[in-house]
Amino acid sequence: MHMEQPFLLSKRRLSVYNLLFFITLVAVGYLAGTFAERYHYRSIDHREKMFINLPAVTIKTVNYPDDKIQSAELVYGSAVISIDYFKRFTASLRNIFGGTVTSYESLIDRARREALLRMKEMAGDSKIIVNVRIETSTIGRNANKKGVGCLEAIAYGTALIMDQ
Amino acid sequence: MKYTPRLPKSNVNVTPTSRLREFFILTLCLLGIVIAIYILLGFAVDMIVPRISTDLETKMSELFIRSLDAEDIDSEWGGYVQSLVENLQKRCTKLPYLFKVHVRNASSVNALTLPGGHIIVFTGLLDKMTSENELAFVFAHEMSHYANRDHLRGVGRAFVFITLATFLFGTDSNISKMLAHALNITELSFSRNQETRADEFALELLNCAYGNVAGATDFFAKIPKEQDPGKFGRYFASHPENLKRIVDLNKIIRDRGFRTAGEKPLPKIVQQSKNKNEM
Amino acid sequence: MIITNIETVPGKNIVEHFGLVSGSTIRAKHVGRDIMASLKNLVGGELKGYTQLLQESRQQALDRMVDQARQLGANAVINVRFSTSSVAQGAAELYAYGTAVSVE
Repeated sequence: MHMEQPFLLSKRRLSVYNLLFFITLVAVGYLAGTFAERYHYRSIDHREKMFINLPAVTIKTVNYPDDKIQSAELVYGSAVISIDYFKRFTASLRNIFGGTVTSYESLIDRARREALLRMKEMAGDSKIIVNVRIETSTIGRNANKKGVGCLEAIAYGTALIMDQ
Repeated sequence: MKYTPRLPKSNVNVTPTSRLREFFILTLCLLGIVIAIYILLGFAVDMIVPRISTDLETKMSELFIRSLDAEDIDSEWGGYVQSLVENLQKRCTKLPYLFKVHVRNASSVNALTLPGGHIIVFTGLLDKMTSENELAFVFAHEMSHYANRDHLRGVGRAFVFITLATFLFGTDSNISKMLAHALNITELSFSRNQETRADEFALELLNCAYGNVAGATDFFAKIPKEQDPGKFGRYFASHPENLKRIVDLNKIIRDRGFRTAGEKPLPKIVQQSKNKNEM
Repeated sequence: MIITNIETVPGKNIVEHFGLVSGSTIRAKHVGRDIMASLKNLVGGELKGYTQLLQESRQQALDRMVDQARQLGANAVINVRFSTSSVAQGAAELYAYGTAVSVE
């Protein structure tokens, strides 16, 4: 605070360095985050095309005759995606003005789609995955305080393998 | 059940705006609001501060500043500087403060003012004094801050600002920390104007008390080299660079026609204590 | 677009399905709502601002899910589930997912 009036120059560069450091963090967060996100989305799109023939549904009963079903087993996949500084800062700005927090949208979208893809990878040869459920939670140091540490998504369901 | 494999054409779950554009729009809006509030506060402070009586200020400051006397050292300087300040006040200003000078033991070449009329001077500065006029200029400068109520303005504005930020954003918010830093930096340029005005006032005071302004610029030439912040530090120092200060002081001296001769030496008792310290 | 929480659409036949569709949204409150909430903490009563925020959230999530289903060529979404998580403090995050089907 400005209570004292020093007669000579005082080194108040600490504030400047703080601000510069903060701006650097935001810039680094933006660059690294955007790069990682683009790469991840490309991978997700590619794999979704690969698994297009293995549907995942939330319903329980599918009318395949019981004798054709070889086995049913639980399959699951999970992913933990972390937040970068740029997204975190934009989200706190949003908290002031309100509206959709677009910076987190891509984060949760990626986490869930990744979890689904990993579940499908685990299913392997099955025909269909039924009764799929998706759960999300936050983990990490900042999970309980303000801000987010990391986002974890887990998808699980029952994979049905048919007789050939 | 028949399954038809299809892929959605677009990703509905992500709004297709540019992240960077959104960031800049939001930040600029926030900065705009912050600057508007800051300017309003400036006007508010300019209106209110002159109305705070010095009695009220002294009483309020007593709440925040506990016993300052505890850290004072007992030296030959104590009585001398107190009488010097009182002399200046009695003869040449009408400041309604009860000034009290505190001498502290520190190598820092500096002097500070606190609300309520307390002036703190460090032994590091006292040891560098070679004439009474020089010392008187330092005190005159501090006293002129009181005349302009500079210390109250800065406090008032920062206080309201930080209170508002805490109310809106919460106590631990990153944003309010960054705003506090930005506020700190802008406060520096305001105080540079305040310092220049204080220097001018101090010259007038010195001229009134001694008939000349000898010793006014001596001090700045002696400041240790590392206090000079260089080009980068210029903006972020709270006082104009010392060299520039000498130039500005000399300009005021020329414009106002002050005399620069006639230095009055320090009294013997403090000379002796100085010699003792230097040995 | 028909949306149900059960595995069938009563009175209609499911012809084909298109897999999982989902809609997610995350909306933040603004400082105005926050200040009203703090004041309401003193006097009590319904926080209309927050209720409205959550309703908008839910509506947007469902709309997005329906949008995705429509893109796949479905005309109903069955077995819809909601899920929520606290991804950011002061923001309401909602996720709706179901199976896109074609009924007649």
